[in-house]
Amino acid sequence: MTRVRGLVGADVERLADLPLLTGAARYVADVHRDGEVHARIVRSQVAHARIVGIDTADAEAVPGVLAVITADDLPDVRIPIRLPLADTPRARRVLQPPLARGVVRYVGEPIAVVVATDAYVAEDAAELVDVDLDDLDVVAEVATAADPGMPVLHPDLGDNIVSSYPLHHGDVDAAFARADVVVRERLRMHRHTAVPMETRGAIAEVDPATGRLTLWGGAKVKHAVRAALGEMLSMEPADIRIVEVNVGGGFGVRGEAYPEDYLVAFLALRLRRPVKWIEDRTEHFVATNHAREQEHELEIAATADGRLLAFRDRAWCDQGAYARSQGTLPELLPALHLPGPYRWEAFALETTGVLTNRTPVGTYRGPGMTEAAFVRERLLDVLAGRLGLDPAELRRRNLIRDDDLPFTWSLGAGSAPVPPISYQSGAFCSSFETLLERAGYDELRREAATRSGDTISVGVGVATYVEVGAMGPFEDARIAPAADGSFVVHVGVASLGQGVETVLAQIAGDELGVPMDRLRVDHHDTDAVPMGFGAFASRSTPVAGNAVLLAARDLRTKAAKLLGAEPDDVEFRDGHVHGPGGASCPVQDVGEGRGRFDKPHPTFSFGAALSVVEVERDTGRVRVVRHVVVHDVGRAVNPALVRGQLAGAASQGIGAALLEELSYDERAQPMATTLGDYRLPSAGELPDIEVIVLEHPAPGNPLGAKGAGESGMVGTPAAVANAVADALGATGPQVTTLPLTADRVRALLREAT
Amino acid sequence: MTWIGEDDSAAVDVVVNGRPTAMRVPARRTLADALRDDGLTGTHLGCEHGVCGACTVLLDGRPVRSCLTLAVQAEGADVETVEGMAEGPELHVLQRAFHENGALQCGFCTPGFLMLALGLLRAEPEAPPERVREVLTSNLCRCTGGGPIVQAVLAAQRELAGDVA
Ligand code: FES
Ligand code: FES
Repeated sequence: MTRVRGLVGADVERLADLPLLTGAARYVADVHRDGEVHARIVRSQVAHARIVGIDTADAEAVPGVLAVITADDLPDVRIPIRLPLADTPRARRVLQPPLARGVVRYVGEPIAVVVATDAYVAEDAAELVDVDLDDLDVVAEVATAADPGMPVLHPDLGDNIVSSYPLHHGDVDAAFARADVVVRERLRMHRHTAVPMETRGAIAEVDPATGRLTLWGGAKVKHAVRAALGEMLSMEPADIRIVEVNVGGGFGVRGEAYPEDYLVAFLALRLRRPVKWIEDRTEHFVATNHAREQEHELEIAATADGRLLAFRDRAWCDQGAYARSQGTLPELLPALHLPGPYRWEAFALETTGVLTNRTPVGTYRGPGMTEAAFVRERLLDVLAGRLGLDPAELRRRNLIRDDDLPFTWSLGAGSAPVPPISYQSGAFCSSFETLLERAGYDELRREAATRSGDTISVGVGVATYVEVGAMGPFEDARIAPAADGSFVVHVGVASLGQGVETVLAQIAGDELGVPMDRLRVDHHDTDAVPMGFGAFASRSTPVAGNAVLLAARDLRTKAAKLLGAEPDDVEFRDGHVHGPGGASCPVQDVGEGRGRFDKPHPTFSFGAALSVVEVERDTGRVRVVRHVVVHDVGRAVNPALVRGQLAGAASQGIGAALLEELSYDERAQPMATTLGDYRLPSAGELPDIEVIVLEHPAPGNPLGAKGAGESGMVGTPAAVANAVADALGATGPQVTTLPLTADRVRALLREAT
Repeated sequence: MTWIGEDDSAAVDVVVNGRPTAMRVPARRTLADALRDDGLTGTHLGCEHGVCGACTVLLDGRPVRSCLTLAVQAEGADVETVEGMAEGPELHVLQRAFHENGALQCGFCTPGFLMLALGLLRAEPEAPPERVREVLTSNLCRCTGGGPIVQAVLAAQRELAGDVA
């Protein structure tokens, strides 16, 4: 293959920064349509209640109000599950209606919508909608949600269990019987979520001539949202167009099909006017997917010399009040990630998704894997303490060895049907060693010991993980040459600020041998790209990137055929294709290059994190002073962007470990509904993240890429937790839950004395 | 004293990015909404409760949260927004430094950080790094965590100092 310009692997400047820097970029709130009107959602203020009546008269009487709708005005539809692997008959029975029908099940659940000519008026009028509710008992805790005698959220389900994923490997009882040491702990990862700086929003408009519906504000999975809206509105997907404008961060929660997407579309069809809805921040905290809350009862069996034998885990994973478009992923993903990168002889685990009267849970950067890494890596450190072994040494002895790859877990009878947990490539042990070496682990340990004193304790923590990514099923790409010698790459991904258009243009430019300024990536509009699976599971580069590469090769091959030359010998220049002997033709005569990349199974990749913290002993304040992440990305198309992704994700992971929490009281009232209550880390609370990018190319894909968008997150909360536990002392209190806020740490310190 | 209703409109004379502007806005409209309604949508709203700083603009040279400022409060003032930063096609030093230091990903927080930094570097051109970091903690960036933004502002500060010297 010719690598004319070496664009792949280079730190090419990001495309499309200019409008972001000058204020010219258009986010969904900046989109205006003639005659647009504004929707405001009336939301439940209680966690569980029967709806006795809704009086909309006062709201309707406000000048400027055009309509107030409730569930009675809607067909009885539900938001469908997006991924077949997360779709089960039980999950389908707890899907969310766009407006509450008869019962509200969480604070923030949409009950009615007010539409007015002005957003301020709509908000005023929404206050006047009078909802008469009879309170019901609530389920406010994940660990007891499935207990007998608890109130049942969805009576026809019979209990609060959405689904369970049991997985078995080897003979666990035999392994535990042989163990010298068994450690067990109840570990809990807390509820927190993505909180992108831009809230969600949507504008829907119907073309009066054709009846076609356009929805601005798409992101992440536009084609899936189009299919969901088609199903719910009884329209052909072809009659729906979803447009993505600039997106102010996604991280998994943004761009799924939500109640509000349906509601604005429904209202635009009914009112025949463009309807706009922009989420406010307080709504965001109760309306946009939450994530992560899980409780695990984990036990690990090992030999006295630090060989891991087996683990058993029983986990309760919160789904919130409904299953949303992500179906059973909140319980499926941790099941796939609990074994991690270690050589277990045996394991038995079961993850159960349970319903509680709180905001539904979706996927946030590193979903399921971050939780699994936290519980496993935390308990491994407890084990290391028990064995008197250095935590890094314990891992070193048990990581799957480099030459054991590829490696696939065989699952025994009684296991749930899940995608193969198969590690195709990488080098777990040596990657971990690279992290320890570059961070100067031994020296850090010595320093921590000497620097710890009466006022400050210093701790070091590590964590390793595997991460699923590059999910299929496939992606299509099309490259269309234009008369001016430029090329447009059409592909069904989503740009959420991660720089994907730059990376895809690099791949196309590298193969075609044309400079970046001749390339444009078009992914914004479902009309321009008929199919696409979107941006999730770190899949844009490994799946769409390979499709783009194949499309570019196709274009090169077609051009060569036309000129009677070899593909490697043609050159794209000045709007023409040139062959070796002076033959040439206009590039538009070549037609389009097309590529499709199929990805039947996801790829697992390895990474690790190392954190150094200082704990101020009187205040309990934790400061992360160094944080290093390593990840095997297979192939870094743009190393600078990859480092930016890893560092950004790690920053979010530090926030998760120390600050961020969506807590609820015993009535299931949310306690964090502003950015004042929900503390995001700022530059003052974060170290400069150190990133090590490793490249062990993935087999079976021409680019060799594995994906990197989520990786910096996965090991970070675990590494920070382990560092804090280390600072508190091996014999000290156990860190079993996050976030490690100053008051939690003070409580731990009190426990220790 | 005269009282006006929340939706009665008031006349506000301001200078926006050097251009005298007569706005007619309902009394309760925030400065952020008034600017945005006027087509200056580079000023973003991330929380509307004064925490994130995405809406930061300069009011008489001082960074303010335009989501917490009423448009009528800007009467007679000089307002600067991100749209006024570049001189035609020529980016401001800060804008270039953001681009070169990986200080933006989604770009949603960027205008607010740019205005905050502009206000700081004008008022305290020699602010030491700790001071720069401290001031920048008043805004939030979910994508980068903020570290690269600090680096970008320090780089711009060095470049500006070099220009003067
Ligand atoms: S929008 Fe003004 S501070 Fe967040
Ligand atoms: S670049 Fe996305 S929030 Fe700062």
